[in-house]
Amino acid sequence: MKYLIPIALLIVLAPGFAWGQDWVVPEERKGRLSTFPFTDETRQSGEKLYVTNCISCHGTPGKGNYISLVPSPGDPATEKIQKNSDGEIFHKVSTGRGQMPSFRNILSGDEIWHVVSYIRSFNKNYIQKVMQVITSSAYPGAVIRMTMGYNEADSTVFVSASAVDEKKTVAVTGAGVRLFARRYFGMMAIDEEKTTDESGKAAFRIPAGLPGDREGNVHFSAKFTDEDQFGIVSMDTILLAGDRTIPVSLLAERAMWNNVRKAPVWVLLTYTIGVIAVWGFIFLIMMKLRDIYIIGSIIQGKKSAEAITETENQPT
Amino acid sequence: MNEISFSSQKEQGKLDSVASDVLRNVRLSKGFIIWIGFLFLALAACLFAYIIQLKEGLGVTGLRDYTSWGMYIANFVFFVATSLVGMLISSVLGLIGYNWVKPISRIAEIIAIAFAAVAGLVIISDMGRPDRFPYLFMFGRIQSPILWDVTVVTTYLVLSLLLWFFPLIPDLAISKNRLHGRPPLLVKAYEILSLRWEHHESQYRILKQALRILLILIIPTAFAIHTVTSWLFAVTPRTGWDSTIFGPYFLSGAFVSGTAAVIIAMYFFRVNYKLEKYLTPFHFERMGRVLILVSIVYIYFNLNEFLVPGYKLKTGDAIHLRELFTGHYAMLFWSVQLVGLVIPVILLLIKQMRRPVPMMIISAFVLAASWLKRYIIVVPGQGHPNLPIQNVPVEWVLYKPTLIETAVTMASILLVLIIITILSKLFPVIPIWEMAEDEHDKEKLSGNE
Ligand code: HEC
Repeated sequence: MKYLIPIALLIVLAPGFAWGQDWVVPEERKGRLSTFPFTDETRQSGEKLYVTNCISCHGTPGKGNYISLVPSPGDPATEKIQKNSDGEIFHKVSTGRGQMPSFRNILSGDEIWHVVSYIRSFNKNYIQKVMQVITSSAYPGAVIRMTMGYNEADSTVFVSASAVDEKKTVAVTGAGVRLFARRYFGMMAIDEEKTTDESGKAAFRIPAGLPGDREGNVHFSAKFTDEDQFGIVSMDTILLAGDRTIPVSLLAERAMWNNVRKAPVWVLLTYTIGVIAVWGFIFLIMMKLRDIYIIGSIIQGKKSAEAITETENQPT
Repeated sequence: MNEISFSSQKEQGKLDSVASDVLRNVRLSKGFIIWIGFLFLALAACLFAYIIQLKEGLGVTGLRDYTSWGMYIANFVFFVATSLVGMLISSVLGLIGYNWVKPISRIAEIIAIAFAAVAGLVIISDMGRPDRFPYLFMFGRIQSPILWDVTVVTTYLVLSLLLWFFPLIPDLAISKNRLHGRPPLLVKAYEILSLRWEHHESQYRILKQALRILLILIIPTAFAIHTVTSWLFAVTPRTGWDSTIFGPYFLSGAFVSGTAAVIIAMYFFRVNYKLEKYLTPFHFERMGRVLILVSIVYIYFNLNEFLVPGYKLKTGDAIHLRELFTGHYAMLFWSVQLVGLVIPVILLLIKQMRRPVPMMIISAFVLAASWLKRYIIVVPGQGHPNLPIQNVPVEWVLYKPTLIETAVTMASILLVLIIITILSKLFPVIPIWEMAEDEHDKEKLSGNE
């Protein structure tokens, strides 16, 4: 009986606690949509990103093998996450909360949408809505477009932004822009935040020796910092702005971790010499067994010869 | 006549008495048959556990992704450690010139052979796919301490066998005519294995020469086998294993467990084989001193191994040491260190405690603690890898050996006992010629004909 009241209290209050922990996404962010349709390609790219960034906590979607944290991360294939709108998922992933990390500076906007497209592939009832027009309070009714390019002469990457509607195209001025280069484990900020000039341009200095791929290509991502004024404006592109990097295989040279044919010389020598030396001695000692045997045979031979002569001599 | 013709009647008498005392045990007595029958039965039961493991895989053990080295590897380290005593007694003490080790040296070699031989098998029991064992030789990497370990353990086993066999040759020759009423097969084996030994001076010269090489050669090999075994751990950056003194730490620990094993065996042979004349309280007294010495050296290395990381308290070490000192392994840790090491040393300092019976009891504690110590070295650190354990069931994190694992480990211990029993039952445990030679001029013993 004495447990009844606490238990009753718990039952009454538990939903209240849960409500207290609800993750509220600002109204204007909820309706945000991807600007491109989800395809097999985006889902595949999303799966890759999910495996490297999310699986450690959320587990494999549909398996329910997420780790036990409070509040729980949950399985993305379940109602808990699927009930979010696209905009809510996007917001939660980019801002994070508590144990859930913020991916704003790890994944580009496009990449977060790729992850969303992967998560949505576990929801049969989902029908995607694509955003037609980017709502911007500064340029109402217009879509903000970006172009990017590399200027080899002064090694800068420029971003040029314009607002386009049915009638005209105007330069977007005074907008804060950041540039990132994609690295193995996230986005690396390039230069400072810049503001677009009268012609809608901002230039970022590329540090000398920025590694690119074999050809020197670098994956850049530019993004407007003031989302309230301009909406989310971001663009990913690949520019020939880095140094060529020919990846050297870790297995190319002799090394401790390499296979036996590429073992360091000193290991090979020490091992071989040591084994030959010790087993050489062992062989020598084994030969001594043979020597003992041969000597014994000779002595026994002599003895029996003596014995024979003795017996031969005796009768005489 | 295949008998030694001694220059004096007295020497011949001495040899006769040693030979008859020692050879009295070379027979299939009823006690022996019961004992070996028991050992083989128990072994069969334990091998059944291994068959289950073969069929089902390592999943039947407590080993999982995180703690992948458990009781098997701890047992392996213990076996390698204990086998080192062959080198300590015969080589180190023998070469220094302590003549009193003579009656003990063969016992030490038998222990070395048994433990080294089974150590290799223990490794196979830790393999999920033992059928792939040959891959170690086909694709083994010369950079891997595991390959070095296989090499040195094999080498050490061969050297120990030779070190056991060489001094046995004259004994076989002495004994072969004294084996009345023994199975003819055994007599035949003595005949063949004695390699036409004629007690000729030149044969003794070769024997002594070979022995000298062996005694020297086995020292670096024995150092290598346990140092390399320690490197299996020390070359990884894992907390608790990442130590620069692991080589000497293991080596000094090895001498402790080996000495204890020899003392227990000595006591057993003294009582059961009625060898009171040869394994005297004096020998126990001496071995007691050896045990004190090696234990103190080991305590010194323990101090280093725990005090230095305990002073710096790097995050990983702090967690590890807390587990050992006050955490999950505290009970085990402190009993091993105190009951298995510190208290024995204090007790052994008292002369009365270095008599055979108390020595045997103390050594039993030391030996058991040595086994547990290997467990403490191998297992706890794996519960705290440098990258956090996440997303796995609890039973993967905390290692607990299963019954099957324990039975397979028992099998290896039984196998050691079987080897020791057979070697000590079929062949003299006390070197006859060396004991006879002891009190006489060597020239006289060997230089006749
Ligand atoms: C370090 C662990 C961790 C990682 C990595 C992680 N999450 Fe989370 N995630 C959480 C936790 C914990 C919560 C619950 C947070 C809360 O409710 O306060 C959560 C919540 C969420 C939610 C909201 C769930 C809801 O109830 O509305 C989404 C969506 C989400 N994560 C997506 C992702 C995606 C996509 C990734 C990879 C890009 C990711 N998470 C990576 C731990 C993680």
